[in-house]
Amino acid sequence: MNLTELQALEERYLMRTYRRAPVEFVRGEGALLWDAEGKEYLDFLTGISVCSVGHCHPAVVEAVREQAGRLAHTSNLFYTEPMVRLAERLAESSLGGRVFFSNSGTEANECAIKIARKHAHGRGIEEPEIVSFERDFHGRTYGALAATPALARDRALGPMLAGFRSVPLNDADALREAVGERTAAVLIEPIQGESGVYPITEAALSAAREACDATGALLIFDEIQTGMGRTGSLWAYEQTPVRPDLLTSAKALGGGYPIGACVSTPAAGEVLEPGDHGSTFAGGPVAAAAALAVLDVVDDPELLRRVRELGASMGDALLALDGVREVRGRGLMLGVGLEEGVDAAAVGADLLERGLVVNVPEPGTLRLLPPLILDAEQVERAVGLIRDSLLTAL
Amino acid sequence: MASKKSPPPAESKVTERLASIVDAAERTALSVIDDAEKEAKLYLEEARARADRMVAERLREEADRIESQGSGDGAAPRLRAVDSPAAPEGTAGGRAPAANGGSAAARLLATQMAVSGSSRREIEARLRDGFEIEDTGEILDAILGPEE
Repeated sequence: MNLTELQALEERYLMRTYRRAPVEFVRGEGALLWDAEGKEYLDFLTGISVCSVGHCHPAVVEAVREQAGRLAHTSNLFYTEPMVRLAERLAESSLGGRVFFSNSGTEANECAIKIARKHAHGRGIEEPEIVSFERDFHGRTYGALAATPALARDRALGPMLAGFRSVPLNDADALREAVGERTAAVLIEPIQGESGVYPITEAALSAAREACDATGALLIFDEIQTGMGRTGSLWAYEQTPVRPDLLTSAKALGGGYPIGACVSTPAAGEVLEPGDHGSTFAGGPVAAAAALAVLDVVDDPELLRRVRELGASMGDALLALDGVREVRGRGLMLGVGLEEGVDAAAVGADLLERGLVVNVPEPGTLRLLPPLILDAEQVERAVGLIRDSLLTAL
Repeated sequence: MASKKSPPPAESKVTERLASIVDAAERTALSVIDDAEKEAKLYLEEARARADRMVAERLREEADRIESQGSGDGAAPRLRAVDSPAAPEGTAGGRAPAANGGSAAARLLATQMAVSGSSRREIEARLRDGFEIEDTGEILDAILGPEE
């Protein structure tokens, strides 16, 4: 079946929720992808920060193959070892409390929202409120959607879940004012991903922690995109002056297999009780086995050091290019702000033609989320392709 | 429907028995090797888990220590951000509020970065840039030990 035939079937049978690039990828290995015509691409998007250990990492492939051949699913009515081992690993590597597994990032955030609301009711708050920043993206299920200000304004999808409010990005004073007696939680992406890679300042993070401590609200970090080594530490909060009460993970957690997690401090881990929450597939042995294999790769000080170094050197090289205004982000999560007048969408499409996969999350920004296992030569190649593309666009 | 087979001749029965004895011996040998490998793997995993727990415990102890230095109000131990003044006008979107060298937030940042594998130089740069701390030696020495 060729691309034209795939597009015809899509037009007939798939709901029109995506605008796909006209490429059919058929194979991947490390930082490389190949399309159906045999053309090679350097992947600096990794399925939106999912394949952080590269495509088809041997350890992940072997873990999935072995587990899928032994036991695929039992539900959460029974024990399976990969899930329990993964919970221990996630908790001990971060907040030290408990873990609830989900199948995706948005579901992990639903769990965090549920914990925050129940925790608030426990403090006598009848109408709890969750505060987030403008431009945040927390997911597309209704709870997470309500905490995603830009999407929550879409009246066609309303009515939205009540009890959410937002403040301007990085406005520490506005955040302090917004957090009050009704606040159940402050929900933050330490570096906003989907809106174009905008880091939250240390002042704003500190203000959020202070405000939560003063009122008893929970601080939740959405680390769905920033976690699992993406920023050069296993969790992005480790490079900030605060610790959250809950963190959510997904995307890179399963290395391409769907799994999410909500991880708590010991205290926040006591909020949910039997019957409060659940999922049929969540924490299934195959996805959990994949996640354990991914953690074996990324929870490595040497790899994380390389992520920081490669990210810094790539940022410097990009900033030196004509047409680049600024480079935002940390580690290998970079937003390249282009100069006014440069059509980022056209540059993104041109880069795809040249064999570099990137993403354009907003006008004027290229988002780079390469695999954490890439090498210096691949960084140099990507920067060269971006330079050539910008020279054409200017 | 299942069907019964006719019994094999006596000679092939002996050959079959010999084959099954050899097969059983081979399986036993493989099982012994397998058990030894499993045992070694188990020891290794236990050692790794112990190391992970020690690191996590160190982080919690450090956090508790920072907390007890920072509050002293007898409240339940809980990590807090630095008690800093409101950010001066124009700093929103910029740096963290300036704080003194002993600020809990700066120490927490340094501790978390150290646990996550950041180098002394990287931590020092973040303390200088984010907290405007000129003399980072006290914090770095407390967390990483004196520089050799």
